[in-house]
Amino acid sequence: MIELLAVMLCLGILVSGLLAATLDNLVGAVVSAELASLFAAVTYVLLAAPDVAMTEAAIGSGLSTMIFLYAIRRTGGGGD
Amino acid sequence: MAETAELILKLAFGLIFIGVALGVVRLVKGETTVDRVIAMDLLTIIAISLIVLVAHVAGRFIYVDVAVVYALLSFLGVMAVARCLEQGI
Repeated sequence: MIELLAVMLCLGILVSGLLAATLDNLVGAVVSAELASLFAAVTYVLLAAPDVAMTEAAIGSGLSTMIFLYAIRRTGGGGD
Repeated sequence: MAETAELILKLAFGLIFIGVALGVVRLVKGETTVDRVIAMDLLTIIAISLIVLVAHVAGRFIYVDVAVVYALLSFLGVMAVARCLEQGI
């Protein structure tokens, strides 16, 4: 059961990473990148590394999303 | 009693499986950014419940701390995206 979930989460990383690379809408791409980071954090928990998962959640999903959104706002891109 | 607990755990894993699949479908299909943000929020909540479930199954309750930290930070992430969509960050 755990292995099946790990495979599915890795597929989720793949799908959201492809989406983040190919989307034209910049905010949507940032949301997809955040989702890839979320799946990576859950996969780290499944692989028995809770400290790495906590760091990934703090930096990958929290901080980098805010920095990307701030950069998009400051450079005038993004939006619908 | 033990069989019932096992059945409930299997049911929870199945429901999480279906929820993640449907959330990813919504993320891929989503026409607007708001659809994607909602899909991301849904998947975050499902992931928190998955981490807690894994903590119970693996018997390691340090994982619950990861779930708590993730819940706090995901709230912040959704707020940041919402502020950005409202042109206010």
